[in-house]
Amino acid sequence: MNLRRLIWLEFKQHKSQLISGLLAITLGIAVIVGIRSVSVVSEKAVAVNLDNLGANILVLPQASNVDNYYSADIDAPTIPEEYVDRIVSSNLQGVDNLSPKLTRRIQIGNEKIVLTGIMPKNEISSKPMWQQSGLIGNPIIAGCTPDNSANKDNGYKDDKLQRKVIDSLSANECLLGSAVSAKLKVKEGGSLDILGQKFTVSRVINETGTVDDDRVFIHLRKAQELLNIPGQVSVIEIMGCCNAISEGLLGKLRNVLPDTRITTIGQIVSTQIQTNKMMNKVSLIFLIIITFVGGISIGNFMWANINERRKEIGMLRMIGFRKIVIYKMMLVKAFVLGIIGGIVGYILGTLAAIWMGPKLAGLPVSPILSLILISLAISVCVSMLGAIIPTYLAGKIDPFKNMQEV
Amino acid sequence: MILKTINLSKSYKHKDGVVNAINNINFTANKGDFVTITGPSGSGKSTLLLSLAGLIKTTSGQIFINGFEITKAPERNVSDFRKNNIGFIMQSFALIPYLTAIENVMLPLAETSIRNKEKRYLASDLLKRVDLDNRKNHYPRELSAGQQQRVAIARALVNSPSIILADEPTGNLDPGLSSDILKLLKKFNLDEKITILMVTHSPVAAEFGNLNIKLEDGKLVTSINNNEMSN
Repeated sequence: MNLRRLIWLEFKQHKSQLISGLLAITLGIAVIVGIRSVSVVSEKAVAVNLDNLGANILVLPQASNVDNYYSADIDAPTIPEEYVDRIVSSNLQGVDNLSPKLTRRIQIGNEKIVLTGIMPKNEISSKPMWQQSGLIGNPIIAGCTPDNSANKDNGYKDDKLQRKVIDSLSANECLLGSAVSAKLKVKEGGSLDILGQKFTVSRVINETGTVDDDRVFIHLRKAQELLNIPGQVSVIEIMGCCNAISEGLLGKLRNVLPDTRITTIGQIVSTQIQTNKMMNKVSLIFLIIITFVGGISIGNFMWANINERRKEIGMLRMIGFRKIVIYKMMLVKAFVLGIIGGIVGYILGTLAAIWMGPKLAGLPVSPILSLILISLAISVCVSMLGAIIPTYLAGKIDPFKNMQEV
Repeated sequence: MILKTINLSKSYKHKDGVVNAINNINFTANKGDFVTITGPSGSGKSTLLLSLAGLIKTTSGQIFINGFEITKAPERNVSDFRKNNIGFIMQSFALIPYLTAIENVMLPLAETSIRNKEKRYLASDLLKRVDLDNRKNHYPRELSAGQQQRVAIARALVNSPSIILADEPTGNLDPGLSSDILKLLKKFNLDEKITILMVTHSPVAAEFGNLNIKLEDGKLVTSINNNEMSN
């Protein structure tokens, strides 16, 4: 017989009370774990999907008009191409691909056409839809979060990993958007006169349904030469990781390039930010609820238990158990309750997420092991907090409770 | 001399004024004494017993048990002193319902450094001495009132106390069982030279003591040494 055995035997004696006392905290932990398990997977899925949309940040000159995200670069003032190096050398997390462009409206024959100078490797890697036109070459390495292992762990594949690029677009070659090709009646292999220089059409890009359909693409260096704007670009497109954007990538870019205008596809990013915020808020609300309800529930259980055992506690005090030993007995009990609540809550929450995730969110959910530590920490803290007052009062029980018949 | 009280008083504040629960009590008990404390309800018997155990703070006076001044010592020292020197027997037995007889007996040793095997041996031996060897794994609800009180006696003895404080130990028992319990206490008192202080209403029980203290309105009115009387 020792203190540990006494606590254990007392636990065994009050199994039903124990279960009711644990119910609130266990369910609370289960809900938090369930929400978090689904939201983590959901956040990653949203991030992967949004990243796959392609470039989502524009670095423009201060004076440019950004009413239309997709045509903001046309006839915009210019910024130095050297800004690309500045971004690269700043080593910002979440910047996956930089695509500098120089865009101007020009006249080809009788048609007004948008000419865009691009760095072919960078441009194509930022345009997933172009790849369907067969513009393929070497694979690019994407470092954007969610990282490869995270994607693999969750059963996703990051499309960027599969993207291929062409390494070069020679000085006398051009790419035509599908609408331009139709308008100018020029096909692959044909030739085109652009600002007095002859270009061979190396590829007609399949219809993308974007402004790219109405553009002619040549090498950036050639465009700078023909337009007589050396070393300047009208926009730098960045394929920024959505998670990184929601975590403040735009602000960091503004610090690197203070004299530029940096914008993003607001709706997409705000959706991501709102989703993350909403999930975090829901988890926080549950955390607050569990702290109150779980703490009160444990406190109530402990108090009922202490009231039921007043004579027993009094007897222990009478035969020489110090107050500190009574405190220890109560707090060890609360600690064990917290551990049980945390583990059972984690298991229930994870099972619920695995079962309901595919049905509710259409996502396969895997157990997140790190959540067990969080569950245990929350559960033990709440349990101990709930037990503080009853424990203090247990120490105040008169040791002579058993003598009052006299 | 194992126990000595000097001018022991305890008073409570009450809306009607100050109540003197015990007033200027002086007595001594020697090793092996069986002291019975009698008196009408409200005479201060329980207050005296609680004071002797250090379970309530006295207003004035001193208590010495085995030379340890219980009235001046801090609470944790008093707890430790009780654990090592005092055994308790209650009218209601005060057994823990979810512990077996042997576990109840081992309870006072729970917070000691004695090895579990030895605790079990000591408890088992005491249960044998109170004729409950075959009931050691029974829960209190499976024992009769007399058997429960014998478990309580074994528990009071397990820490080898120098003094046992008994609070109406036969109050819940019929006369036949009462006599058995009192004989058992007397046996330990004589065999082990353990000092026993027993509060009782029963004149029959009071006769088991060699020293009878009678209280009235908190005052010690008579202190009779039965041995001297018989002599």
